[in-house]
Amino acid sequence: MRKIGWRKILATFIAVLGIALGWSLVEPQSVSAAEPTYTFATNNTFEPFEIQDSKGGYSGKNPGIEIEMLKKIAKHEHFKYKLKPMSFNGDLQALEGGQVDAVIAGMSVTNERKQKFDFSKPYYTDGVMMAVAKNSKITSLKQLKGKMVSAKSGTSAALFVKKNQKKYGYKIRYFDSSNTMWNDVKNGNTDATFDDGPVLQYGIRTGVPLKIVTKKPIDAQPVAVGFQKGQNLALQKKVNDGIDWLNKTGQMKQIVNKYTKSDKTTKSSTASRTIPGLLKANRSALLNGLWMTIQLTIVGIILAMIFGLILGVLGFMQSKLANGISSIIIYIFRGLPMIVLAFFIYMGLPNVIGHKVPLFLAGIMTLMLDEGAYIGAIVKGGFDAVDPGQWEAARSLGLPYRKALIKVVAPQGIKIMVPSLVNQFIITLKDTSILSAIGVMELTQTGTVIISQNMEGFKMWLIIGTIYIIIITLLTWLSNYIQKRMA
Amino acid sequence: MDKQYKVQVKDLHKSYGKNEVLQGINLNVKPSEVVCMIGPSGSGKSTFLRCLNRLEIPNGGHVYVDGYDIADPKVNINKVRENIGMVFQHFNLFPNMSVIENITLAPVQLKKESKEEAKKDALHYLEVVGLKEKTNVNPKTLSGGQKQRVAIARALAMKPDVMLFDEPTSALDPEMVGDVLEVMKNLARQGMTMIVVTHEMGFAKQVADRVVFFHDGNIREQGTPEQIFEHPQQEDTKNFLDKVLNV
Ligand SMILES: Nc1ncnc2c1ncn2[C@@H]1O[C@H](COP(=O)(O)OP(=O)(O)O)[C@@H](O)[C@H]1O
Ligand SMILES: [Mg+2]
Repeated sequence: MRKIGWRKILATFIAVLGIALGWSLVEPQSVSAAEPTYTFATNNTFEPFEIQDSKGGYSGKNPGIEIEMLKKIAKHEHFKYKLKPMSFNGDLQALEGGQVDAVIAGMSVTNERKQKFDFSKPYYTDGVMMAVAKNSKITSLKQLKGKMVSAKSGTSAALFVKKNQKKYGYKIRYFDSSNTMWNDVKNGNTDATFDDGPVLQYGIRTGVPLKIVTKKPIDAQPVAVGFQKGQNLALQKKVNDGIDWLNKTGQMKQIVNKYTKSDKTTKSSTASRTIPGLLKANRSALLNGLWMTIQLTIVGIILAMIFGLILGVLGFMQSKLANGISSIIIYIFRGLPMIVLAFFIYMGLPNVIGHKVPLFLAGIMTLMLDEGAYIGAIVKGGFDAVDPGQWEAARSLGLPYRKALIKVVAPQGIKIMVPSLVNQFIITLKDTSILSAIGVMELTQTGTVIISQNMEGFKMWLIIGTIYIIIITLLTWLSNYIQKRMA
Repeated sequence: MDKQYKVQVKDLHKSYGKNEVLQGINLNVKPSEVVCMIGPSGSGKSTFLRCLNRLEIPNGGHVYVDGYDIADPKVNINKVRENIGMVFQHFNLFPNMSVIENITLAPVQLKKESKEEAKKDALHYLEVVGLKEKTNVNPKTLSGGQKQRVAIARALAMKPDVMLFDEPTSALDPEMVGDVLEVMKNLARQGMTMIVVTHEMGFAKQVADRVVFFHDGNIREQGTPEQIFEHPQQEDTKNFLDKVLNV
């Protein structure tokens, strides 16, 4: 009766996991012989410190204060670097988890952070400022009683508003990117926002309709590069030497002035602001994002199918142990929010395996496990839905379990599953957007980056949303066609 | 066990939880014998039949087929099943296959016959059940009576020497019942060993060598059709027959 051998299926399952793990271990170390390469976590959206180009990179002419600085230091001190743009919170977690060697992200040196991290020499003094909507009557912190204020989570502005909440009696809302936060003020949902002075100043100069009401930066703090405590001492020395050199030669001042005083670096507002204009200007970035979304969806759904099929068969076969394993795996991965799973794989797993997990692989593994669990449940449900009389008829003829499954039950089960599987395919496509949280440059993340530069939130999200709807419509047509042919 | 019997059942017990559905059944069936089983619904007839080919696993007792204990781990249950055809109340044809594929699936998959031989055989059995013109149709398009006759052909294609029928005509419209019973009568005439759960008292009277009356998980009474139908000894048997014959 149990000839199918759940051992074999288990072995396959373990093999697949093994391959995935193996992949993560063979990630190229990219060590060049002469110059060491370091990985720096940085921000997605943090003008004027970091300014991504429309492809999400920093190869443009005005990549931001810190990126220009780093470029010069690396050249002078003979090392190479790789940048990992993430949200600021992600930066800190990546540094703690050893995913990266350093964080260069307009990071203020605070006492709290000093206990966890080492810092380079400061190269900038940064303070928190408060901004309100252009037509707002609020001019000081004292007027904030009962009002809603905002700050970016993990930033020194967030620390500041938290610390002074009792004193001024406001409510706090946290955001992940300046852009959405500022829009919230503009739309009147929040009354005042706190952000790093230079970031606010730069944003307002590029057209954000807010005004700064604090005269001087509050809580001014030095900004520096952060390192894992006691680690990477060679890199720490190189960075410090580089900063000294930039200061001595006056280059540091030049760079800072370029971004905070002159108009050279502000994005040209001549770039068309109409939807066709935005489409044209960001065409290649959007196409790249779309392509990444499609790749994630296809590779993700294929692996999820394999994983799900194994889970489904394990859940269905006549072995209590296999059933139990299947149920537990399905329960866990269906229960976990996908974003938690993504963070766990990308930021948590490296602590355990002692090795970085490449971003794309982390994204794919997240999809495989999460969508695979749903597919496992669909497969099991499909098999269960086949009339038990079919089993009995097949077995009564003398067909062994495996033949009865393959020839009689599975074909009927699959037919039952098809609509749910197609639906899961569409859900997978949508779920890839969640991977933007760990910085995968798929369509949604591309949108975030573009908007951080042009501040055209409404129009850009309209464009991105439309792209999703279009591909999902195409996919739905395709699946309807396939289902009709199968019926 | 006794080699003279095709099927021998000794002290068979089966429970579902606390509900003891079979309470120690003994029954011997000789080759070519036709045994009809009657009794109220829920008395354990189907369960008994399904224990004979281990679709249900008994909790106690023994089932011997051709002298082999089918619960013996050394006995390959699939081989035993090849020899026991089963026909179900709801036909259970495979909807993902045509009529002929339904019939040839098992002989081909179990390497009893080549594809060509199996097809030839299938056509023969379709002729036996009078459905040769339906060879290539989808079972969905058949009437209930036709489906059941295909199911019989499918079972026969394995060339079993025992056939089990579980209320083969209960799900049929009355005008279809005759065709199916006719096929079964022919089988009986040709010497097939048959165990038939049925509510067709006419069929039992006419075809059965022995009638077995089930009641509350026991065989309450058994005998020739004449003994059971004309001179039942037990109160339960009389009550049951009163009910089914006088409606
Ligand atoms: N799979 C099962 N699980 C629990 N109880 C069952 C199962 N199959 C049958 N029974 C019970 O066993 C008893 C006998 O059923 P069955 O053998 O189908 O009777 P019959 O065929 O004579 O109508 C009934 O009370 C029925 O509810
Ligand atoms: Mg029954």
